[in-house]
Amino acid sequence: MPDARRPDIRLTGVSKSFGAPGGEIPAVAPLDLQLAGGSMTALVGPSGCGKSTLLRLIAGLERPSSGEIRIGDETPDDLRKRAALSVAFQDAALLPWRTVAGNVALGRSLARRPRDAGAVSDLINLVGLKGFEARRPAELSGGMRQRAAIARAMASAPELLLLDEPFGALDELTRDRLNAELPALWEAHGATSVLVTHSVAEAVRLADRILVLSPRPARIAADIPVDLPRPRDGVVLASEAFREICGQVSAALRDGQEPSRLAAQ
Amino acid sequence: MSGALAQRGRLAARLPGGALIALLLALIAWEAIARLTAQSFFIAAPSAIVAHMTDHAGLLWRAFAVTLWAAVRGFVWGNLAGVLMALLVVLLPRAERLVATLALLVFCLPLVATGPILRVLFGPGEGPQVTLAALAVYYTTFLPVLVGLRAAPQGWFDLVRSYGRGRMVALREVRLPAALPYLVAGLQIAAPAAFLGAMVGEFTGAERGLGVLTVRALRALDLPATWSIAVIASAVSVLAFAAVGWAGRRLDLAPPQVLLASPVEARQSRWRGPGEALLALVVTLALWKGAMELFALPRFFAKRPEDVWAYMVSGPGAEAHRAKLLGAMAETLSFTAPGYVAGLAFGAGLAVVLTLAPRAASLTMPVAIALRSIPIVATAPLIVWALGRGAAGTIAVVAVMIFFPTLVACLHGLARTPRAVLDLFEVYAAERWRRMLGAQLPAMLPAFFASARMAIPAAILAVTTAEWLATGRGVGALMATVASTSDYGMLWSAIALIGLVAVIVHGLVGALERWVLSRTNAEQLAR
Ligand SMILES: Nc1ncnc2c1ncn2[C@@H]1O[C@H](COP(=O)(O)OP(=O)(O)OP(=O)(O)O)[C@@H](O)[C@H]1O
Ligand SMILES: [Mg+2]
Repeated sequence: MPDARRPDIRLTGVSKSFGAPGGEIPAVAPLDLQLAGGSMTALVGPSGCGKSTLLRLIAGLERPSSGEIRIGDETPDDLRKRAALSVAFQDAALLPWRTVAGNVALGRSLARRPRDAGAVSDLINLVGLKGFEARRPAELSGGMRQRAAIARAMASAPELLLLDEPFGALDELTRDRLNAELPALWEAHGATSVLVTHSVAEAVRLADRILVLSPRPARIAADIPVDLPRPRDGVVLASEAFREICGQVSAALRDGQEPSRLAAQ
Repeated sequence: MSGALAQRGRLAARLPGGALIALLLALIAWEAIARLTAQSFFIAAPSAIVAHMTDHAGLLWRAFAVTLWAAVRGFVWGNLAGVLMALLVVLLPRAERLVATLALLVFCLPLVATGPILRVLFGPGEGPQVTLAALAVYYTTFLPVLVGLRAAPQGWFDLVRSYGRGRMVALREVRLPAALPYLVAGLQIAAPAAFLGAMVGEFTGAERGLGVLTVRALRALDLPATWSIAVIASAVSVLAFAAVGWAGRRLDLAPPQVLLASPVEARQSRWRGPGEALLALVVTLALWKGAMELFALPRFFAKRPEDVWAYMVSGPGAEAHRAKLLGAMAETLSFTAPGYVAGLAFGAGLAVVLTLAPRAASLTMPVAIALRSIPIVATAPLIVWALGRGAAGTIAVVAVMIFFPTLVACLHGLARTPRAVLDLFEVYAAERWRRMLGAQLPAMLPAFFASARMAIPAAILAVTTAEWLATGRGVGALMATVASTSDYGMLWSAIALIGLVAVIVHGLVGALERWVLSRTNAEQLAR
């Protein structure tokens, strides 16, 4: 039963290459992919393999060179026009002249949601930026900026949430705390989410499914379901099953690095 | 806080002590030199200037008020036009080449020629002064604001797009705030320029104003009067420059953004460049002719494009006209080119030195500001009196005119070196010069080239003014002569040729800029 608030994502034959002076750079090889509505999918893969590009394709920020992307029964552009998706960008993309609170509130105003100071300050608390509401991005650390960007992405209560290495610059403790707290929030919002991450443990902890991408052009080197109970508390994280899935993902990443094996498949 | 604003803040904080000492020393040296060279007849002593000012306080004050009011109106209109044109280009990127070329052409119209023409058009009154003040500022606002409106990384536009919002929201949320610091920088340069424009407007048939007094003083070789006006005009300009800067700092703007994002795909067809140039030419000619026909301007005075063609190419005596104009132009160019290069080199070089030795800045900046702000109409005769009617005097006038905007722009550029890149050099404890070569100079290049482009009209203004008011050679003098003898065919031909040369040089500098920046600062191109 498809839920409009939890749209599924279907890619059919989607590829992307960039025009460059020295010829075309293929970033994403033709992909067929289906992500269930309301699920959290993690994309892992070596640097430069095309993860951000894939995410931008799904957001409708890039046109695919071939193929088609459907989100529910809409295109990414339809979704964007309704302001039903949001992106936490890899480089945070905070506006330097706005304060932290102003940047988070921008997530609502750009999405044409009514002003709601309460919701904004709740989100700021959640990402641990309480007390920094009136600071400008230039006064924040890299990790604090990323947290502000996450809060902004969630401020519009999107149906589709795309997170590009949102915890990349965070220390282990903060990362751990956000990993623990955010899933509850996502479940409450009911968003379909795609998360790009370099941390295998984080992918296994947060995702329902992990797609391991090959080096550029991105292909799906492995598709690993994560059948672990939620909430994934300390007990789950210490379990044999958790470690086993981590092992699978790491192995797939290693294998993916070797083009010869890929070609043989 | 970082970058240019902080740097300027620090300069301002250090200024009073250093500036006072510098001012005092300069005054003493000035008085001494004036007394020593009293017979050579070009430097008035401060004491003589003060005496003249107190004797004629009422007259100077009334003239000053008239000129200031015209300058203020021109400042408002000109900057408004500059900002609107920049917005037009950003919203209609296809129109860029056309708008930019027309803007450049209009800005290059030599004051020597436009002054008399505007006077005929407007008749008596303040129309020409206000118009020339506006013409003197719109371009130096248009260019930086245009840069500022685009000085945002792709990620910010992606953010706006990811919520399905369009260009107007991007303009409001991203471009306009990003452009504000650039606007302040543009207004800072515009403030003295507006005053200069208003003064030049008064040269041709105005009844009142500092410009009228200048012409009178020059004719009478009245040294204290000339210097008094130069001092007043400089003081106003320095104050206006400082006031706009102060207001900008009060706004507490976020520092200008340094672009580190990857370049946007900008594929152009091979024919686009020449095609746009041709279009700009056609539109220019159409506007030229159209405006004249629309207002039914008398043919005797308002020459159409075809009249110029006949005068220079197909009509009787065309060969003689051509030889005369091209000869004068060649002479002018031989003075302008060295002055242009020297001004750019000196401005960029001093910016580098001041960045390497910040302490020197507190002494040099006030002098540099004063140098730039002293209106060229007042300094040109003085410089030429000092250096003679030959090459040296004219080259110096051009260099002085270009030097200061280049210095300011390059200082801004140097201060915009990304923090992370500087840190990298810090980590390796690199020497200052190594940091300068590896990190700061590349960051300065975009600003340097922007000022190299802006310097083209400035060089034209300087050289034609100097030739007109002081040396009596080259195109500037030719235009002044033919304007007074009503040889409007030659006047319009000279204007057209100057515009053509300006556009060609601008194109060459632009090509060099693209070639260099594509190797050093790819992210600054396109978009
Ligand atoms: N706008 C663009 N123009 C040209 N090439 C591009 C562009 N964007 C991305 N690429 C190329 O596409 C490839 C994939 O880039 P992408 O940003 O998707 O990688 P990524 O997997 O997100 O890497 P990382 O983990 O380092 O963020 C890279 O080789 C990159 O050079
Ligand atoms: Mg990426």
